[in-house]
Amino acid sequence: MSRSRLVLFASMSVVVLGVLAGLGALWMDPARAAVGPLPGEALVLPADTRFVMGIDAKRVVASPFWARYGSERSMRPQAWRQLEEMTGLDPARDVDQIVVAGSGTATSRTPPLVLAVGRFDPDRIAQTLQTSGKATLRDVGGVRVYEFAGPSPSASRTQTLAMALLDRRTVVLGPPDGVEATVRHRAAGESPLQQNKGLLGLVERVRPGSSFWMVGDQTLLASLPNTFSGPGTGGSGDMGPSMNLPTLKAVTVTADLDPEVSLAIVGEAIDDPSATKLADVVRGFVALATLQARQKPELQRLGSAISVATEANRVLLNARLPYELIDSLRAMAMTSSAGATDEGSPAEEAAKPK
Amino acid sequence: MRDTTQPLPFVPATRAVFDLSLEGMIWSRRSLLMGLLVALPAVLAVVYRVVLASGTPARGLAPLDLYALVVAVFWIRNVLPLAALFHATSLVADEVEGRTLTYLLTRPITRPAILAGKFAAYLVTSLAVALPAAVLTFFLLASARGWSGVGAAVPDLFRDLGVMALSLVAYGALFTLMGVLLKRPVIPGLLFLFGWELLANLPGYLPRLTLTTWLRSLIRHRPAEEGLSQLFAQVQPVGWSLTVLFVASAVFLAAAAFIFTQREYVLEQ
Repeated sequence: MSRSRLVLFASMSVVVLGVLAGLGALWMDPARAAVGPLPGEALVLPADTRFVMGIDAKRVVASPFWARYGSERSMRPQAWRQLEEMTGLDPARDVDQIVVAGSGTATSRTPPLVLAVGRFDPDRIAQTLQTSGKATLRDVGGVRVYEFAGPSPSASRTQTLAMALLDRRTVVLGPPDGVEATVRHRAAGESPLQQNKGLLGLVERVRPGSSFWMVGDQTLLASLPNTFSGPGTGGSGDMGPSMNLPTLKAVTVTADLDPEVSLAIVGEAIDDPSATKLADVVRGFVALATLQARQKPELQRLGSAISVATEANRVLLNARLPYELIDSLRAMAMTSSAGATDEGSPAEEAAKPK
Repeated sequence: MRDTTQPLPFVPATRAVFDLSLEGMIWSRRSLLMGLLVALPAVLAVVYRVVLASGTPARGLAPLDLYALVVAVFWIRNVLPLAALFHATSLVADEVEGRTLTYLLTRPITRPAILAGKFAAYLVTSLAVALPAAVLTFFLLASARGWSGVGAAVPDLFRDLGVMALSLVAYGALFTLMGVLLKRPVIPGLLFLFGWELLANLPGYLPRLTLTTWLRSLIRHRPAEEGLSQLFAQVQPVGWSLTVLFVASAVFLAAAAFIFTQREYVLEQ
């Protein structure tokens, strides 16, 4: 074998070994699931689901995000807090993945179904719920379903929630009828979510291995407002002419948290011109935010943190936010909200001694 | 018994030129320099792993973001076109400069077979450096924080390997054409790469006149950028991108073969 052939052989060996190792990693990847990143257990969720959201609890807990903000209750997802408060579970320890499935509109107050996959001790959960005295127990097809009063999105009232342990790996939490239906589907060996081809088609496109992902279809997005008022030009707080936003057919969000927060949002518009229009609107907002950020040295990186592109009828928005930038943005938000509180209402202002 | 009045059939002739050219091309100083440049990210990935292993707090890019940047900006946009420029423009020019073209042209092989053999040798030489570098860089960076996320990123690796190969084909075909068309093709080639290809950052239809627009539409990495490219970033449909790149490569190569066949080479004494 000549020297050049030897070089080619060595080079080809590296590539072939790499491809084989890649195929092996793909095959054995724990993130490999029934549909994209969706675990097989979640296929018992209802067929009329309009959006699905997934949280890889293990990745979240291992990320710098958790190290920085894990102790802050407000920085945890709502599904996470519900699991903590109502079941006594510690998602950071017990849960591998959380899947949230909503069948309400974007503005409805119907709570979504939360399905958690992990390692659970049914006896301990039952003991926690029963000793709390807040849960009532009933039997649905041989599965114990606990019902209790949970917090409502509107703080003034409460709503009934239910929780069922489908097996030692799966807990489902949400509205009682949804939980009951899930239990029955599971007992019958059915996979209703598989009937929702449109939504599963979107889930298939999500890259497995993300810390967070979310997909929503047209039925969810149709209920969102697609008109907003532009800023006025007079400087007196009046609003300018309203602007129509193109309707989105679907939206996909994926996020990673290590070593910085990286976010990828893909919005699918009805046609190419709509996607271009939407991208232009988003670019406008990014440009405005960048201009404002330039006045503050700590926000200098905001301009290069976000990119917007179009691909046929899709708008692609990528953002990479270092934790220092998030800290600065949070500090700004806190300062402005504190400022708003200090200013008080006009009546209070008038009552102040001069 | 072969009819010696006829030239060798295309395939055996191409194979013979390929074997001859490969030996000289792999061990040339140009290949060594380009090889070092193309393989630089693999060295960078090793440094990244060492820094990570030393316990230095992770700031800046995540490993897979760094890989995305290397693929989209370093390889696809800059280094692979540059490697194609220096290799492909010299396929015939080196023979002319070394006054060895006569020996090739007097053999019983057709001119298109000479060009095809030399182009194949360039492609194999470039791929032999670029693809292992991509594989090594990917695994070094993707496994930097453990093997749990590697599987999810593997489809991107396969896609990147394909796009890197396609960029070497497309730019190689174009620079082969420039090599047979122009006496000094390197300067126009550099102007094309770092002048004309910047049209990809403009709005409207102009980006479609560049190769880089079609190539970067095929990869999934979209590193955040600032400036014009951020404002007007366009991504073309995958089917269209593949069609345009294959058709453009075929047209460039056919034109190069036609010109090489028609041209009379007078070697300076």
